[in-house]
Amino acid sequence: MNKNPMLPYLGNLVEVRDLAADIKLFRVELLNGGGEAFQTFQPGQFAFVSAFGLGEAPFGIANASGRGPAIDFAVARLGSVTTGLHELGKGDIVGVRGPLGNWFPMKKFKGKNLIVLGGGIGGAPLRPVIQHVLDHRFDYGHLTILWAARHPSLLVFTDEYDEWRAAPDTDLHLTVDTPDKKWDHNVGLITQLLEKVSPSPENIVTITCGPPIMIHFVTKLLQEKMGFAPKNNYVTLEARMHCGMGKCGRCNLGEKLICVDGPVFNMEEVGGLLETFL
Amino acid sequence: MSESNIDQKRWLISQSELEAWLDGIANARTLIAPRQVSGIMLYRSVEKSDEIAWYGQTSSSAQASFPVMSVKEIFFPPTERLFTIQKTGQEIRLEETFPDWETVVFGVRPCDARGVKLLDALFLDTNPIDSFYARRRRNTTLIGLACTEMRPTCFCTSVGGAPDNARDMDIMLYETDGGYIAEAVTEKGRFLIPGGEWKVTTITPQQTTFNKQFLVPEKREWPKHFNDAYWNKISERCLSCRACAYVCPTCRCFAIRDEMIRPGEFERIRCWDSCAGENYRRVAGGHQPRAEKSERLRNRFYCKFFYYSEQYGLGAASACTGCGRCIEVCPAGVDITEVLMDLEKPV
Amino acid sequence: MYEPRIVAFLCSWCSYTGADTAGIARMKSPANIRAVRVPCSGRVSPELVMRAFDQGADGVLVLGCHIGECHYDTGNHRAAKRFPILRSLMAFTGLEPERLRLDWVSASEGERFSRIADEFTGAVRALGPVHWRVSLDGRQVASRMLAVAREAIPYPETDCTAKTEVIRQKARELLANDQVSCVIGYEVSRRGRTRPVFVYTPEETERLVWNPDCTNNLTSYLPARLRPVKGKEPPKPVAVVVKPCDSKAINVMVAENLYRRDQVYALGVACDGIRDPDGCLQTRCVTCQEAVPIVCDTLISGTTSSFIPRLSSYAREEIAELQDATPAERLEFWLGQFDRCIRCYACRQACPMCNCPVCLYERDDSTFIGLGISLNEKRTFHLGRAYHLAGRCVGCNECERACPMDIPIGLLNQKLAEEIEAAFDYRAGLTVAPSPIVTVLSGEYKEG
Repeated sequence: MNKNPMLPYLGNLVEVRDLAADIKLFRVELLNGGGEAFQTFQPGQFAFVSAFGLGEAPFGIANASGRGPAIDFAVARLGSVTTGLHELGKGDIVGVRGPLGNWFPMKKFKGKNLIVLGGGIGGAPLRPVIQHVLDHRFDYGHLTILWAARHPSLLVFTDEYDEWRAAPDTDLHLTVDTPDKKWDHNVGLITQLLEKVSPSPENIVTITCGPPIMIHFVTKLLQEKMGFAPKNNYVTLEARMHCGMGKCGRCNLGEKLICVDGPVFNMEEVGGLLETFL
Repeated sequence: MSESNIDQKRWLISQSELEAWLDGIANARTLIAPRQVSGIMLYRSVEKSDEIAWYGQTSSSAQASFPVMSVKEIFFPPTERLFTIQKTGQEIRLEETFPDWETVVFGVRPCDARGVKLLDALFLDTNPIDSFYARRRRNTTLIGLACTEMRPTCFCTSVGGAPDNARDMDIMLYETDGGYIAEAVTEKGRFLIPGGEWKVTTITPQQTTFNKQFLVPEKREWPKHFNDAYWNKISERCLSCRACAYVCPTCRCFAIRDEMIRPGEFERIRCWDSCAGENYRRVAGGHQPRAEKSERLRNRFYCKFFYYSEQYGLGAASACTGCGRCIEVCPAGVDITEVLMDLEKPV
Repeated sequence: MYEPRIVAFLCSWCSYTGADTAGIARMKSPANIRAVRVPCSGRVSPELVMRAFDQGADGVLVLGCHIGECHYDTGNHRAAKRFPILRSLMAFTGLEPERLRLDWVSASEGERFSRIADEFTGAVRALGPVHWRVSLDGRQVASRMLAVAREAIPYPETDCTAKTEVIRQKARELLANDQVSCVIGYEVSRRGRTRPVFVYTPEETERLVWNPDCTNNLTSYLPARLRPVKGKEPPKPVAVVVKPCDSKAINVMVAENLYRRDQVYALGVACDGIRDPDGCLQTRCVTCQEAVPIVCDTLISGTTSSFIPRLSSYAREEIAELQDATPAERLEFWLGQFDRCIRCYACRQACPMCNCPVCLYERDDSTFIGLGISLNEKRTFHLGRAYHLAGRCVGCNECERACPMDIPIGLLNQKLAEEIEAAFDYRAGLTVAPSPIVTVLSGEYKEG
């Protein structure tokens, strides 16, 4: 029989560091054959990470495979599995099941301008897109990154912003809802920032990830006010998941399953779904 | 001859021949059949054929002869261990556990067998193959028993089935004067039949009387009703209790969690769950996409008649077998046939 | 050789220090004791105790301050009230209540701690390891049937048309005058099944009926409908058709601050009993003691009444049979019943009193119970639920009726209702007062 798809690969935590308030970055090196399975994962895919003894939960893979072989996961401490993960440190073993789901069609995006909009920890599944574009810079047009959080302490990957800014033909705009004393960038919602930046809807693809309400308002703004065609707007969605491979039925959005038909969706297809993601 | 009869041959066996055959099977393998368990009928393992709750021949009430739970629990049990986890210091060792015994199920009704076929579409025919379901399925033979009558809540004939349809069985039996008519439907079934000992017959089984049929909306009719206020109305009485999903032959939602066996040793288990439950889609941060009862009940119907079929390639067929258990079991009187008939009415 | 594992819940202020005192004075205490420090013995809830047993304890010891010396004044009172009820539930289900002991030890009583620890460990050792923690692996549990057959009292013929008319008329009035936003009553479905219905306009009141199959406890729908929502106007009152048993639930819910009495208009029916699918009187009706609803804004009575309290107490005969059986027989009976359970939660959802936003036994972090639909979990769930209903259950028995597996869980509730009445002279729902073993913390329901 083939490998049992419910059985995770073991992974060694080679690095655990704080990313933001109550958010940690886990860098995992896969063991026992997992390395092979994860050799060429695509930006947008996800995996289940196990805190053995508690359970497993889905996380977007937060790096591009070109920057591997280790895999990054950004984990916010919210429930029992994530709390269990937060208690682990370098050298501990976790489980990894994947890579799962579909991915951003980076080939289709070649030659186009890109806007990446990340809200809070929603930025994590977008980092592989940014890394892929930076590593294949001249395959893509202008890259605009809009990065937001409720508060500066919740911004993720702050130590990489300089690398992003320094890349050719790339802009980074930051915004927070509530600033702290040291904040000297934009203050306001990501939708306000988007209107300020006011990108042209020509030859462009947008990629949004964040809380459902943010995805809703960003795509609404893009499509209703700024003239962006829905088929050029991509989102990556999440829901509570258990199997991640289309069996347990939990993550359905109408007739689609977020774990196999997504998590990457195009707004044209998501707009037509029976259920909304709100 | 029925399409599902691979030998194009029928046998006539008496009650005692049937019992002797089943006794033989119970000796060599695990035999599961309907049994009375503290006053209700369930599919449970039997050691001898006299433990079986015989019906049809002895009970005139079709109501009493239908196990409360479908055969789903044989292939997809309420709780299943996926693997064990040994933790020693920082070291982790995983050990897979697989079910591995030969089972024969006797007394399967066509609606339940259809349910198994529908679960096959999910667990076997859609990648990745579920190893647990696959093993149980491979190692199990279904001996069907045609219903002599339909219960008031039965509606298999309205969803493409019939009370005497043999298509999803391995062996099919039909009650008749003097005993049972037996057919082999699959190779697996024929393997169990002691061909030489049984008397070949030319009697054809008598067709069961069908309940009044009603039209079920086609798949493509469902999307337009998604935002109807109707779902609010019918869900008001729903208690979000999930009994309907658990007795259903095809509901398959499950949850996965690790549990401690003893310090340092854990098991990862999967257990039944249902979209009707309040906390089904609640995420750790607290967000509840289906906070309203109406959204949950609507999802259950849409999954049954639209989503499941789309996701697992059933074509025009729905995932409902018309067994009527959900109607029997609902404490609040939610009635699937009522919903189907209401949707079929012109707007 | 078997050495019992004892989990001891020790309160920070007295007994934990008492244990310390014993240690400092080098008094020997058995190594079997695993101490868990809690702020107060009142913190030790039954689900913690059962979890300790489920996770391997052979005995559970709870030690608090002496009565009158609790640091929180009345924390140990809670323990004093709870544990006898929990022990009687354990006894009723064959779970050896001798494995659970509650006692009092002050900070200076090192010797007392040592003595109690010794005594208890010896007692638990003598009982042997817990044998009701079951590891089944597919084995079926034999199920003992009860010998007592419920007397099949044929349902009396009564004319319900008068009551139906009064209900419809009153509902029309309430809706037309805008006194209520909705009337929750009963209707007959197209299939002929009597079930709940929600009526919003005077025209719709034609759907309302009263008949011998009006079994649902409609008060289960009230908390969700009347729950205050932050930032919104309080919901308008709702009218609900209630039988005497159902009406008691309103008192309990009001006592627990789920809604205010003036938010409910009770259409109270003087009930002649409810019929079960076999055409006989339901069990709860055989033992019913109330002819007219306790909570009632309009009394709906017929021209005749055939209500007769049939038994002198409301306890079921099956309880007597189980009391007379040996503990081993009781255990065999109950494990056999729980074995059939599929943890669908129909019992919980049908119950008007089970209205916690997230059930303790459905938490995602497995604090009190595992996820599995396995015998240990099922036993814990049913015992836990029965305990949580002690002094709150009004005996509508909808839980038992809703159970797809015909498990007689109503017996657990009845048994504890008896215990509560014996200990506190209290029956749920007769007045607006909470259960004697429940502590109501705030005077007002806050939106969660």
